[in-house]
Amino acid sequence: MAIQRCSQARSIQSLWLTGDWFGRLSARKGRQRSVHMMRRVFIAAILFVAVWAPSLLVAAEAGRADLMGKLCGDAASLGDVGRALVGIAADGSQDERAWATPVARAVIDRKLTCDTKGAVVISGEGSFDALTREQRVAVEGGRSPFLNLKNRALFETAVAALALRTAPDPTQRGAALRTLERQAAGLPEHLFEAAAEQESDAGLRAQMTAVAQAAALNSADPAKRIGALKRISATPDRRALTQVRALVADPAYAGDPEFKRAVDAAIATIERGITAGDVLAALYNGLSFASILFMAAIGLAVIFGLMGVINLAQGEMIMIGAYVTWMVQEGLRRLAPALLDWYLIIAIPAAFLVTAAVGIALEAILLRHLYRRPLMSLLATWAVSLFLINLVRVTFGTQNLNFVTPFYVAGGVPVIGDFIFTWNRMFAIAFAVLTLGITWGLMRLTPLGLNIRAVTQNRTMAGCIGIPVRRVDTMAFGLGSGLAGLAGLALAPIYSVNPQMGQNFIIDSFMVVVLGGVGTIVGTVVAALGIGQINVLIEPMWGAVAAKVIVLMMIIAFLQWRPEGLFAIKGRRK
Amino acid sequence: MKPLASDRAFLILLAAVLAVVLLLVISIATPFGLSAYLANVIGQLAAFAVLALSLDLIWGYLGILSLGHGLFFGIGGYVVAMHLLKHSHEVTGKVPDFMQFMGWAEFPFYWTGFGFFPYALLVTAVVTLLISGVFGYVSFRSRVGGVYFAITTQALVYVAMLLMFRNDTGFGGNNGMTGFTVVFGWPIGGSRVVIAMAAVSVLMLGLTLLGCRMLLAGRFGVLMIAARDDEVRLRTLGYETLRLKLVVWCLSALIAALAGMLYVPQVGIINPRLLAPELSLEIAVWVAIGGRGHLVGAVIGAVLVNAVKFWLSVAAPELWPFILSGLIVLVVLVFPNGLVDLAKLKLVRPTGLKHMASGTPELR
Repeated sequence: MAIQRCSQARSIQSLWLTGDWFGRLSARKGRQRSVHMMRRVFIAAILFVAVWAPSLLVAAEAGRADLMGKLCGDAASLGDVGRALVGIAADGSQDERAWATPVARAVIDRKLTCDTKGAVVISGEGSFDALTREQRVAVEGGRSPFLNLKNRALFETAVAALALRTAPDPTQRGAALRTLERQAAGLPEHLFEAAAEQESDAGLRAQMTAVAQAAALNSADPAKRIGALKRISATPDRRALTQVRALVADPAYAGDPEFKRAVDAAIATIERGITAGDVLAALYNGLSFASILFMAAIGLAVIFGLMGVINLAQGEMIMIGAYVTWMVQEGLRRLAPALLDWYLIIAIPAAFLVTAAVGIALEAILLRHLYRRPLMSLLATWAVSLFLINLVRVTFGTQNLNFVTPFYVAGGVPVIGDFIFTWNRMFAIAFAVLTLGITWGLMRLTPLGLNIRAVTQNRTMAGCIGIPVRRVDTMAFGLGSGLAGLAGLALAPIYSVNPQMGQNFIIDSFMVVVLGGVGTIVGTVVAALGIGQINVLIEPMWGAVAAKVIVLMMIIAFLQWRPEGLFAIKGRRK
Repeated sequence: MKPLASDRAFLILLAAVLAVVLLLVISIATPFGLSAYLANVIGQLAAFAVLALSLDLIWGYLGILSLGHGLFFGIGGYVVAMHLLKHSHEVTGKVPDFMQFMGWAEFPFYWTGFGFFPYALLVTAVVTLLISGVFGYVSFRSRVGGVYFAITTQALVYVAMLLMFRNDTGFGGNNGMTGFTVVFGWPIGGSRVVIAMAAVSVLMLGLTLLGCRMLLAGRFGVLMIAARDDEVRLRTLGYETLRLKLVVWCLSALIAALAGMLYVPQVGIINPRLLAPELSLEIAVWVAIGGRGHLVGAVIGAVLVNAVKFWLSVAAPELWPFILSGLIVLVVLVFPNGLVDLAKLKLVRPTGLKHMASGTPELR
């Protein structure tokens, strides 16, 4: 690698020495014919810059002096200066904009003094000449130009337009954009396009593009409007639809058939895009909801399948997982701030092990004695859930915990319409898939999984052939609790984390287990997907509550048909 | 079941209940006796005791745990609240708060007739029987039982709570219903009316106790216990357990609704919190602490736990959840039959604890 770089440097050196830059480059690519052509263009460009740049510079200098003169003139000429400053913001070079920014600001603040030698900008660090930037003090007897209401508005626009291009802080540029947005029609059309092009902040750039498009839509030139329509229908969303719909009332819509066609086509395209986006968004939301349901339910399913015990404290295991994640985050903040963004990954073993330990303790102390009394174990686990909620409430307080949003779960990619492929949901989905993979692997490929399956199918028989049933129970309970802890971790960045959070999942995840059938991973997956998607599909029609009611009714009805759930292990019905 | 004459615990409880009724009647008629506040507390405890009885009937004697009995309690409560609001409106012309909140000038159409108490009673019975009947039939027919049944009932009460939290249903939304002013033509705040309501509550508790006792003492009660202990065998013998379970389930739901009708006028408010799954779970805890399968135990459990809760929610509200969870763990691990075990415990026999925990025939 080093040798290669070295030889590259040498060849570049030789290129400079021989002056045969293009020749060498294109010779290597084997495109001899274009060499002369390119060389010619290159030379022409150099000539152009050499001849024209100084003259441009001179022209700018002359323009500035002229502006300074007008700045110290009457109200009408001040207005001209305001418009010219807006023009500079849109068309001027970077140098010109840097020059104009303090001048425009100073006029508004009355920090500009006109004297016999020109104009002086008074500032805290020392006054300087407005034209030449040289340090100097204003000559006695100077006066500040006075802005009337109309000119003040003009200058404020100019300051905002300049800030849009030159301000270093994105929030300042955002504020400037909001000021300018309201009067976009009166501004040079390409101001926003130019600003959007050089904008570094993605969100702000999207806003700028939107404003630019809106400005182009209302421009006087029909060709430009049609062009803007085409561009706007390439990114269909609800905002674009309202913008384009408003054009139907435009006089040009009735008068110009070509414009009418363009508007109609744009509306159709945008509506198609929005529908596609809505469908995708519903599917995506359903998938992410299903993955959360799955993670909350898989631990429950393992435990229920194995021991016939419904663990009402499972929601609290989720809560503990989220709290452990938070503690890992706070620990990293103190000890290794550089790793703070990775707390979600680092917390994975911690969340799993802590909740698994809590689960094992719960099993050993309490549930071990209740295996033949499943209804009592319901009450016992509820007592544990009550205890844990209040313990956490007393220790940490009831307020929601604050989580850092790491860069890998922040933001999203707008796909089509209003559908944004958000990374935090993707994180939940990916995490659920990972959990599924690990659980499946554990259950299918390890001796523990084999034992768990054996005890699930026939506890007595498994005991007879020498499987340590009690130990399998304990391990499985730990596994189920640990999986719930992982669900808590996945929920941490997308859900409000407080002592009560587990309560919201518990009934939904029971429904998943009951619907999926006892002790089958496939059943849990299918039930979670089904409930998640149905919920999300019904929600926009009748609301979240109706969705829950309908889903529950469907589950009860379904249990009529298959009382043991979707994927029951075949056996005799009692 | 022991014959009534030799069932000492039951007779003592019944006598105590009647004594309290008498005490309350004296308090109404004469300036002596209990204060309105104390009477109100007693009345609420009695309502909870009726609720506990309803769950004991289905869980203790039939082995079916419902974690959704708050739903029927809530139905009774909501209907009686509707009656009180409508009645108050008819007498005083006061427009209920929730209608002002929603900007409604008139009652929704389904409120028609609620000013008439027998109609409200009828609606409670019909709605309760409809919901419990349909749900019970579909569940028992497909032999959903045990943990499955418990969880499904809990989901049912949860969904009911979510529904009631909506403001546009015409049942008061998340603020619930309050501001009752008149009951049967009397002002509801008067101390005599408060004591009278408490007296009715305690009287109802006595009647429910007696009614359950009579039901259980007969052939029907024997069948119930047989179904609890071995349903398959009973079915094999040719008894239709579906009908048996359904009847008891509906009866239990009706008693729970009655408890709700007693409870809400005394607290003066109902809101969807009453339908929270936690309350339904708590009912099971009262019964478990008092002793499943014992009418006396259920009543004592409900009264005791709620009395402690009343006292602690003033004295140390933070402490209550810890005490409750501790009590539950104690009961499930050490005293599987609740206070009934404690009553049998002889202090001179320290091995008794372990003996009882393992030797008691267990319900599945």
